[in-house]
Amino acid sequence: MHELRVGEVVPLLEISRAWLVDPVSRREGPGEVVVRDGILEAVTWLKGAAADGIGPDGVLVLPGLIDLHVHLREPGNEDAETVASGLAAAAHGGFTTVCAMPNTTPAADEPSVLARVAGAAAASGSPVELLAHGAVTVGRAGERLAALGELADAGVVGFSDDGSPVKSATLLRNALLYAGMLGLPIVEHVEDATLTSGAEANEGLVATILGLKGWPPAAEIAAAERAIAVLDSVRADATGARLHLTHLSTAGALAAVRRAKAAGLPVTCDVTPHHLGFTDEWVAGARRWAWEALDESGVARDPWADGALVAHPYATACRVNPPLRGAADAAACLAALVDGTADAVVTDHAPHTAVDKETEFGLAVNGISGLETAVGVLLAAVAAGRLSLARAVAALTVGPAAVMGSRPGRRGAARGLVEGAPADLVVVDAGDDWRVTPEALASRGKNTPLLGRELPGRVLVTLAQGRLAYQDPSERA
Amino acid sequence: MSTSPTTTPTPTQPDAGWRQKHLLDVDALSLDEIQLVMRTTDAMKEVLSRPIAKVPALRGTNVTILFYEASTRTRVSFEVAAKNLSADVVNIAASTSSVTKGESLVDTIRTVEALGADMIVMRHGTSGAPYLAAEVFSGSILNGGDGWHAHPSQALLDLYTMRAHLGDVRGKKVVILGDILHSRVARSNLWSLTASGADLWLCAPSTLLRGFDAWAGRWAGGGAPGHAGFHVTSDVDAALRDADVVMALRLQRERMDAGLLPSLREYSARFGLTRERLAGARPDALVMHPGPMNEGVEIAPDVAILDRSVITEQVTNGVAVRMALLYLLAGGHPEAVTNA
Repeated sequence: MHELRVGEVVPLLEISRAWLVDPVSRREGPGEVVVRDGILEAVTWLKGAAADGIGPDGVLVLPGLIDLHVHLREPGNEDAETVASGLAAAAHGGFTTVCAMPNTTPAADEPSVLARVAGAAAASGSPVELLAHGAVTVGRAGERLAALGELADAGVVGFSDDGSPVKSATLLRNALLYAGMLGLPIVEHVEDATLTSGAEANEGLVATILGLKGWPPAAEIAAAERAIAVLDSVRADATGARLHLTHLSTAGALAAVRRAKAAGLPVTCDVTPHHLGFTDEWVAGARRWAWEALDESGVARDPWADGALVAHPYATACRVNPPLRGAADAAACLAALVDGTADAVVTDHAPHTAVDKETEFGLAVNGISGLETAVGVLLAAVAAGRLSLARAVAALTVGPAAVMGSRPGRRGAARGLVEGAPADLVVVDAGDDWRVTPEALASRGKNTPLLGRELPGRVLVTLAQGRLAYQDPSERA
Repeated sequence: MSTSPTTTPTPTQPDAGWRQKHLLDVDALSLDEIQLVMRTTDAMKEVLSRPIAKVPALRGTNVTILFYEASTRTRVSFEVAAKNLSADVVNIAASTSSVTKGESLVDTIRTVEALGADMIVMRHGTSGAPYLAAEVFSGSILNGGDGWHAHPSQALLDLYTMRAHLGDVRGKKVVILGDILHSRVARSNLWSLTASGADLWLCAPSTLLRGFDAWAGRWAGGGAPGHAGFHVTSDVDAALRDADVVMALRLQRERMDAGLLPSLREYSARFGLTRERLAGARPDALVMHPGPMNEGVEIAPDVAILDRSVITEQVTNGVAVRMALLYLLAGGHPEAVTNA
């Protein structure tokens, strides 16, 4: 491709000798694709000698990725992120559909706020599809239901007070009933706030040694169990009621979802790359992957004992809600992704300004900028033999699409590699590492503990709706 | 002792054993470095015994004391130590500075540096704050206490005081009794005492010991390299039995408001250090307290004034230890203090 600008229809793109992954047809293997005039003209699966030497460790062609959970900060906190910078970050991360959380200022609790965000997306020129969750309660204050029906009419794909739980169980019940009537899920941030007042870091050895106030796993587990019980209580009245638990971080909450699914409850959940890839020992200064923090018998290693502490302790880039957990919980997140308990991977992309992060750990805001590093973290897990490439891709495409209840043709649908459709795909070189630097990130939020680190999987090109969303500088002729 | 009282300690090459730019916690110190602090403190004690207890070691060095929390003994102790070394001392109390106008810690540190600070002694209510300061300050940060996390100069003066009476603390039973959970003194003492091979016991009501049992369990088979394990219990009598040192910690009234304890009365009855309880310890067991004391709560008034109470000695040693720390961080050589 030559000097093509973001948003322009791609006249011609030929990718030969790549590893194609199509989670819709559940097929992966060597192949070639041709995009002409924005249309995915040809998908050719290679066999025999033509396929020799092509593997999943080289150039990958995947359908455009979907992220159910991002914070784009507009309106209200444009110094941390704008819709335009957020969509640029999405495209750099390989995402062609992102779903914005409503905790903006003002909150997206009525259609006018959504219209403003949609206008910013259109003005950005990015072809990345921007979807939205509406707030569950007015101002996310947890007191009265927001304009759920009007928000549904305006096209939201779910309702969430994310950043906070719906504190009142009665209100959660009513929201499940009403949203169920509208055919939309309640996306719940599960946290029992009475257990997390003033909490700073995951309750455990790291918090004890560093003198940080513990953030107990029980806060998430108790809230997940409560939400599931409330869901169970409304099933008879509302067959359409659906509950989605987002950014689960504990073995206990994931086990609760596993049981609920086995009992046939309409519950889904997601996990984040940081909760499955990082651990609380990162707060102490370790930087090894979560799967490297367990010993052979599955017990968390002690970074003070084995010399794993390589960075300054108290890095606020590691401060996030829910907090980075212990290695066993991180392993449970990965296991839930592998066995399908977790339907999707979401980034919970939470950009923040340097001012809000360059402060004392106990005073820093929560959140990790994650859109541009999600693929890299998952590919690291794939490279370590902890996750299949197919499962990773499914959790970033068909998985989140199913959570939204999307059908072919509807917004947010998983497109697969379908000949004749507008090209919506990402080309990733799994064999090419890139360094995470502030300059390399399109997001205004540079708040990631991966800064300075090499990640596998350079995104070469992202196409959305037949148009150029991102192109690696080295790919420009 | 034959040297002249006006002998000048000349900062020379840092001792081979001292590799620290900052003193953020004791966990970064090797046992050699801890022992170097002890030897240097000996030299500073000798300076303090002189008619004019002042040496020019830090002449021209600006030591800024930046305290975000109320403190009497630590702040004054550092100030006296710095002045004994002839440093220029600037005192900043956060309540009277731009901090009340919303200035960030990072901006404050940069401002203090621009005003000429070579070393900053800081106290902050947030665990880890000195690590942030150390990232932006080109000089040395001395942690004068951060949140629940660390109080390294206190731990080192405690160790110095114990060694003055017991010699080596290796194998000696040291009990820290009180609000372990919220105590930076306990955490820093944990590192220095396990590094020194003491038989350390932490004793508190279960609500004020949360997390430490798991820590002790992790270290049961040998903790961080060079560190011994330690014991955790809520059984005061078991903890005090045959103890060589008993250190009581201050109990703050906020703990009742947070629902961690039923009442001060109940705490005092079950965990207060009384003569009766102390009878289970060795007859010559040292009684320590980092201050400030709540007499009648965590320690009985008649215990605090026993002959074997070294509480005021801790305060005196605090000045010498802080002189040693300032001196070592400024690049001073311990032998130079008395022999130069």
